[in-house]
Amino acid sequence: MNKITIPIGPHHPLLKEPLSMKIDIAGERVLGASLRLGYVHRGIEKLALERTYVQDVHLIERICGICSHVHTTTFCLAVEALLGIEVPPRAQYIRALMCELERVHSHLLWLGILAKHVGLETVFMHTWHDRELALDIMEGVSGGRVSHAANQIGGVRFDLSEEQEAMIRENVEKLKTQVGGVLDVIENEPALRARTQGVAPVSVELIKDYCVVGPVARASGVDIDLRRDDPWPPYDQLDFKVITLPDGDAWARTLIRALETRESLRLCETIMHKMPDGPVTVRAPRKVPEGEVVTRSEAPRGEVVYYLRSNGSDKPARLKVRTPTLAVLSLLPEQLSAIHVADIPVVLAGIDLCIACADR
Amino acid sequence: MQFIKGLFFLLIFPGLSFQVVCGLAFEWIDRKLLARFQRRVGPPWYQPLADLIKLFSKEDIMPEGAYDLVETLLPLISLSAVLTAGLYIPIAGFTPFSFEGDLIVIQFLMSVPTLAYYLAGIASVGIYSLLGGGRSLLQFFSYEVPLLITISGPAVMAGSWSIAEISRSQLDQGPFIVFQPLGFILAVVGLIGKLKRDPLDIPSASSEVVGGSLTEFTGAKLGFWHLVMNIQAVVGIFLLANLYLGWSNITSPLPAIGIFVLECLAVVVVLSATSAVFARLRIDQLAGIGWKILVPLSLLQLGFVILMGV
Amino acid sequence: MVNEINFDTVIAAIEDEIGCDCEPYGGMINEEALRIPVDHLQSVIRVLRDQFGCYHLSTITAQERENQPGEVELIYHFWQGKGISLMISVPLESPQVESILSLISGADFYEREVAELYGVTFTGREETPPLLLPDNWDLGPPFIRREETDE
Repeated sequence: MNKITIPIGPHHPLLKEPLSMKIDIAGERVLGASLRLGYVHRGIEKLALERTYVQDVHLIERICGICSHVHTTTFCLAVEALLGIEVPPRAQYIRALMCELERVHSHLLWLGILAKHVGLETVFMHTWHDRELALDIMEGVSGGRVSHAANQIGGVRFDLSEEQEAMIRENVEKLKTQVGGVLDVIENEPALRARTQGVAPVSVELIKDYCVVGPVARASGVDIDLRRDDPWPPYDQLDFKVITLPDGDAWARTLIRALETRESLRLCETIMHKMPDGPVTVRAPRKVPEGEVVTRSEAPRGEVVYYLRSNGSDKPARLKVRTPTLAVLSLLPEQLSAIHVADIPVVLAGIDLCIACADR
Repeated sequence: MQFIKGLFFLLIFPGLSFQVVCGLAFEWIDRKLLARFQRRVGPPWYQPLADLIKLFSKEDIMPEGAYDLVETLLPLISLSAVLTAGLYIPIAGFTPFSFEGDLIVIQFLMSVPTLAYYLAGIASVGIYSLLGGGRSLLQFFSYEVPLLITISGPAVMAGSWSIAEISRSQLDQGPFIVFQPLGFILAVVGLIGKLKRDPLDIPSASSEVVGGSLTEFTGAKLGFWHLVMNIQAVVGIFLLANLYLGWSNITSPLPAIGIFVLECLAVVVVLSATSAVFARLRIDQLAGIGWKILVPLSLLQLGFVILMGV
Repeated sequence: MVNEINFDTVIAAIEDEIGCDCEPYGGMINEEALRIPVDHLQSVIRVLRDQFGCYHLSTITAQERENQPGEVELIYHFWQGKGISLMISVPLESPQVESILSLISGADFYEREVAELYGVTFTGREETPPLLLPDNWDLGPPFIRREETDE
């Protein structure tokens, strides 16, 4: 059978963001793949050096649309560590709440996309309908569905009123029921299982060799979650389960995100229950003293690392961002070898790409 | 006078105009049902017509190296094939052209669009078209054989290869779906494969081959393909309604039309529901199911029918 | 669960195994940092991986420090329970570092990014094709300070 190369991207129905892949196939089997990133490279790291820290919070938010809050949180944590200021506990809890809601909405978004690529459009429509509940909460408290501008250096920009807290509790309850239904469908739908079970299994050794993070790693049995292992407050005071699955195939990657969504909703309830009263921000000086810091967070897709160095002025001297999708993408050519052509969407959806994050 | 009558049958009813209107109506019902299954509102009634008009008004572009004459002729040939097939199927008992053996002719005519789809993929030269075309042929081999075997069931039971006769004999024997429920299910599966609908829309799976054979088609050519798909669906539904549900041959026209409409709607609901509920199969899974499950079951059903008649 | 890595044991192990002098760098908040000579990069990483099971490379940061002109500093951020970073410096005129691709396959993207943004050459691996910059980028490594010309 002759080898032909099909291009996937930069424009392709499979991809939400531009990414160029050249996939060699023979008949219906994939032989290999090569990647090219950089279509959405905006030079955020260099742009950040020309703006003040306060302006950078807004710049960092636009690295990614789906996980914007966790990026600004990690950045603010870095700057606050350099400033040596302590964020009030209520602000920490609000930050954690938004992070968990973001995880919920990101996983529901991803689940819809996976279903659509596998041909289950109904699940796609239903999950995105449920996702609106999470987005309604975020809009209700911050004014924005995807870009919340919730963080500022020293705390959060807004406080939660009584009505808002009631609204959050109500929507989280509704979401729990809906996500329970979605989980039911995923576990019992035979066609979805047939399409994903046994597809592109990834071993633990491969995960460790490629330094893969996030749900992809946990779906292969690697028990790492930065919320538990390297927490920033309030995660060290919160009780939650870290879910791992042993198989490492596309089915495990599907199931794990659905289970994580449910766990995140429980965590949201715990956060609302334990949220203390108090101020939501402290005054932060504009000029940041000299120093360097590394902060890590668990974004919906895995580990986000920020390295920040300041030279005493009000603009950073060096900012380095490593997003989880970049780590997962290095595994992609390996995952794409020796599978069916029809499994390509399943594998791609299983890694939950966020190219804007990877490119910065 | 014969000439005018013939022209009327060909162009108005049950020919061109009637089938186009039915095709658009089917598309609307299908999309609306699907939307309701998905908690959406769905399009207004004139949407399919608007889409068709829009397609015909768009610019016609073909990639360099594609065979332009072939590309233009293929959808037109397919359209004439399905329109001709529709002429032989009784609409509420009325058919001006039926003859003994028209069931076989219709099966042949209905396969023309599938082969044309494959050729369109080859002639379009693009990678995705080639892949889509190849897949459509693979899919054809998986569902066509069980479909042909299954369709023979009602023919054997009615003792005739004329669809009008098969439909009429159900007035005496009762709807064939009662005796051949398995056959009905297999025929629906075969129809889904023929129409390339979810879960068997493998040749045009947008996440894998973008648009399948029709990736490079634009403008009027795509509009014609759209029409072909819709009319093929309508003809298939009429066929199934006549073969398995029958009962629309009673003498008074109004109840006949009513029953026929209800039967067709029932088939449409079944098609839309399966479209909403199932995920897309992989081509190797389909081939496996086609030959390991569908063919034996259809042979079983046919054997059962023959034994019953004996 | 992750076993947190113990910084003092790491330093002791490195000094035992390789005998190089690595100076702890106290300036990094939240992270234990270690300055090591360029030539010993691979052996230190091997010690970390084999003796301590520390395999997770978070990223490779490259920067030019204002108080150390003419040098490009590379920081290899590892993580095991807590972060541990390895810092090396290479001169700007001949920025060559041995690639760790043979030890950690996941370092590919990070090395390619450093190569194109800072002009560092990684020896011991095949060419580093551009990762983020466009194919027709001809203005040199964008992060290296150079004479600003108004064009």
